[in-house]
Amino acid sequence: MRTMDADVVVIGGGATGAGVVRDVAMRGFSAVLLDKADLGQGTTGRYHGLLHSGGRYVVSDPESATECAEENEIVTRIHADAVEKTGGLFVVTPDDPMEFSDQWTEGATKSKVPWTEISTAEALRREPRLNPGIKRAFAVHDGTVDGWQMVWGAAHSAEDHGAKVLTYTAVTEIIREGDQVTAVIAHDLKNDEQVTITTRFVINTAGPWAGRIADLVGCHDVEVVPGRGIMIAMNHRLVNTVVNRCIYPADGDILVPVHTVSIIGTTDVKADDPQRLAIPRNEVQQMFDSGEALIPGFREARAVHAWAGARPLFKDKRVAATDTRHMSRGMSILDHGTRDGVQGIVSIIGGKLTTYRLMAKNVVDVMCDQLGESRPCTTADEAVPGSADGHTYVITHRLRENEKARATHLEVKPKATDVAVAAKAGRTPSHAAIDDQIICECELMSRKMLTDLLAEQPDATLDDLRRQLRLGMGPCQGGFCSMRATGVALEDGGIDIERATGLLRLFLKNRWIGLWPILYGEQVRQTALDDWIFQGTFDVEHLPVPESEVEL
Amino acid sequence: MTATAIPTTPTWAGATPHVVVIGAGIAGLIASLRLRAAGARVTQITKGLGGIQLGQGSIDILGYTPDRVSAPLEAVAAFAAAHPAHPYSRIGVDAVRTGVEYLQQVAGPDLLVGDAEHNVNLPTAVGAIRPTALVPPTMVAGELHDGLKLVIIGIAQLKDFHPMLVAQNLSRTTLPDGGHVTARAVMTDFEPRPNEFDATGLTFARALDDPKTRRTFAEGIKALVNEGETVGLPAVLGGEDHKAAFAEICQIIGAPVFEIPSLPPCVPGMRLNEALVKAVKDARVEFILGTKVTGFTAADGHLVSVTASTAGHKREIAADAFLLAAGGFESGALKLDSHGHPLDTVLGLPVKLPDGVDEEHLVTDKYWGVAQPLFKVGVDVDESMKVVDGGSPVYDNVYAAGGVIAGATRWQEKSGEGIALGSAVKAADAILASLPVVAATGLAASSPLAASAERN
Repeated sequence: MRTMDADVVVIGGGATGAGVVRDVAMRGFSAVLLDKADLGQGTTGRYHGLLHSGGRYVVSDPESATECAEENEIVTRIHADAVEKTGGLFVVTPDDPMEFSDQWTEGATKSKVPWTEISTAEALRREPRLNPGIKRAFAVHDGTVDGWQMVWGAAHSAEDHGAKVLTYTAVTEIIREGDQVTAVIAHDLKNDEQVTITTRFVINTAGPWAGRIADLVGCHDVEVVPGRGIMIAMNHRLVNTVVNRCIYPADGDILVPVHTVSIIGTTDVKADDPQRLAIPRNEVQQMFDSGEALIPGFREARAVHAWAGARPLFKDKRVAATDTRHMSRGMSILDHGTRDGVQGIVSIIGGKLTTYRLMAKNVVDVMCDQLGESRPCTTADEAVPGSADGHTYVITHRLRENEKARATHLEVKPKATDVAVAAKAGRTPSHAAIDDQIICECELMSRKMLTDLLAEQPDATLDDLRRQLRLGMGPCQGGFCSMRATGVALEDGGIDIERATGLLRLFLKNRWIGLWPILYGEQVRQTALDDWIFQGTFDVEHLPVPESEVEL
Repeated sequence: MTATAIPTTPTWAGATPHVVVIGAGIAGLIASLRLRAAGARVTQITKGLGGIQLGQGSIDILGYTPDRVSAPLEAVAAFAAAHPAHPYSRIGVDAVRTGVEYLQQVAGPDLLVGDAEHNVNLPTAVGAIRPTALVPPTMVAGELHDGLKLVIIGIAQLKDFHPMLVAQNLSRTTLPDGGHVTARAVMTDFEPRPNEFDATGLTFARALDDPKTRRTFAEGIKALVNEGETVGLPAVLGGEDHKAAFAEICQIIGAPVFEIPSLPPCVPGMRLNEALVKAVKDARVEFILGTKVTGFTAADGHLVSVTASTAGHKREIAADAFLLAAGGFESGALKLDSHGHPLDTVLGLPVKLPDGVDEEHLVTDKYWGVAQPLFKVGVDVDESMKVVDGGSPVYDNVYAAGGVIAGATRWQEKSGEGIALGSAVKAADAILASLPVVAATGLAASSPLAASAERN
């Protein structure tokens, strides 16, 4: 059993939680962030990667639109390394009514979302795959943001300001003395150890799980409706700017270029359990049809992976519970002191990734009020580690880094003669000689990127590594890199063979979750090759089966 | 004929082929050879290199039923009887035996040893114990038995082979017949070319074709081996000159040495592929690489011709019979479209789904412990390998062989080459029997030697 003490315990390591822990740490509070899984493994990692310009909400939710426009600039500045300034387009497709576009321009102007109308010819010049029948086009400041990179950036910033970040640590109890929260008890899942944190304040940022956390402290009826949405990553960048359909927010109205893929999304269906989100066949077909409206021939492109995320929507009694798209996407801050008579805890539910920083500020302001502290928010003023130079992400950046590494390789790495001598003498190899090997060719992930992160997080699963390194996220979906990564983890990661084999099994199983719902076309061909490698050549199904599967 | 001459022009140039073979994996290559040896004029069209080099480089017949199989030919008969939808139920054990023997004759003992009656258990690149039937001579010493002492040696510059993964999994596994091996892992350095730190297996294989390089390599390996150990190395021990390379490496190391195949391309598979393609070309099969079938003409239940497209050029090829040996989903011969309909992309033949499975359930959410029904989809054939739909021939002259035939999950059963060889023999023999000209000369001539006799 471990004990800790912190001014503030933040529960839930998505974007909101990471933003909150950074905010409180920057205001000088001691803080601990807890998540039952990895950072950004819930809603934050399961979205389409859009950094909103605000354009999506200019008609349906003008206030959100303005916030998005403001926060877009801030996030681009403080999380430069996670953001790509792709720009965005709103296009009226042949199937869409023209009237909405007038409402849209009016709304955009009112809500101060920067926009310019461009000719359809110019839109088609910028994005040649676009439907040539588009009737109108507007350029906006949409960008894309890697949710994991952003969350880890905020977490590392918080750590630099003294906060502790504990992943795979599930909250089991929240202790009260009278009506005052005094401690949080959690279970460190990887080390099977209890952690007790005495504290003065808890901020519940558990997203779709926020109701369950509130329940633990006796604040009931915090109903969070998971609005399930599916997303499909299409191989390659079918577009290089974000393409939105200029219609009232609906299913499949956006195509977002992120890293090496383009992501189409999304749907919106009420789910029961945020832990188990289906990717139904009919919704997949619906996305393909929507893709066809934006990019003719979309169905012939290759889908590489699909996932479902749960929007945490606080239930508003004014609308039917099944209609999740029209629930408030603005944030709801629940003050459990006035609502439930429990002091020292607030919950924040809902919101958008783009405005995560603002949400964090607002909830920490509420906390400061309650604690009678007056400490200003400074999160917009300082870039997170890795973003200080202000250089935003570009698609070719790993290529550039690898080329640089290759260029310097001959100067700094052992010479051929040294290696030959070493080989003759049977010496173990120098790692420097092979640091620049590309372990995952699809995503240009080097051996050193893998070994460095393993040194930092020795108990990481291959999926934990994937979220930060993009291991196995390209077209081969782990066919070539997962055996290599397993081998490297065994050689350099200090894990034993049972865990290494278990990690490989877990990774293959987890990749399949996002593969089988979208398996068609070229990805079937890839899967047949991958199966031939793993089940055929490696006969991985006849390795010793573990007594219990590795899950963490 | 000198060794450098590559005969590409068939002796029968100008004449219409008797048979068009589509695909150049093991099924297509063996069928072409057998047809040609019996005197048929054969045109072979292939989109790319065949699948031999994408697999494990050995010859599988039957490895799991799902129980581990030790006597594959014997097991084929019972397996076929128990699985009437499986290709083996149409192919039959005799054709598999004939096919394997035929391959052995063509390949010779420098490329394949062993027999179809016995499986051997070989270590894989993740340290699993895999059954297979015929193996390259470079893998023989890897046959696992109780008390074997192994040293598995990796090369840091080759990222596709991780010796700890192999050695430690082997060490903790009980052998199929009981007993254990002991295995230790060593990682060493070796640059196949100066300053090359991220090389493919093929680069190593080519480097080790050079006598000076392979001597340096073998000396380095020798220093890592203890008394009484058998040496497992990645399957890169020589390319074109593999026979001399392997012999010299073994001789210098002075201990039993074997190769372990890893990620594709598989160097032992490439050696076999090159030998078979050369045999096909030497036999004066018209071998057209880089060519897709993009159309066909048919009349009255008879396929008249196919359109072969090479880059921008199209050519109509008429023939008496056509053999589809283009592989399964892995090659693109079969496809699942975005609506979930499976189809044959080459000739548009009807495909058969596994019994009791509809299009919506071809893929399941389970990764471990199941065979995806999708990969059992393929064309249906009768006992002569003629493509049928609901029991009746689709055309009276279209046959199928290898991975395109419905009913098997080849990589899980470890049945890929056995199905390919057996169906190639059956299809070739049925086609020969249907060709009036060739039938007159009889099938007795159908040995690989017949082709060389004609050439001389």
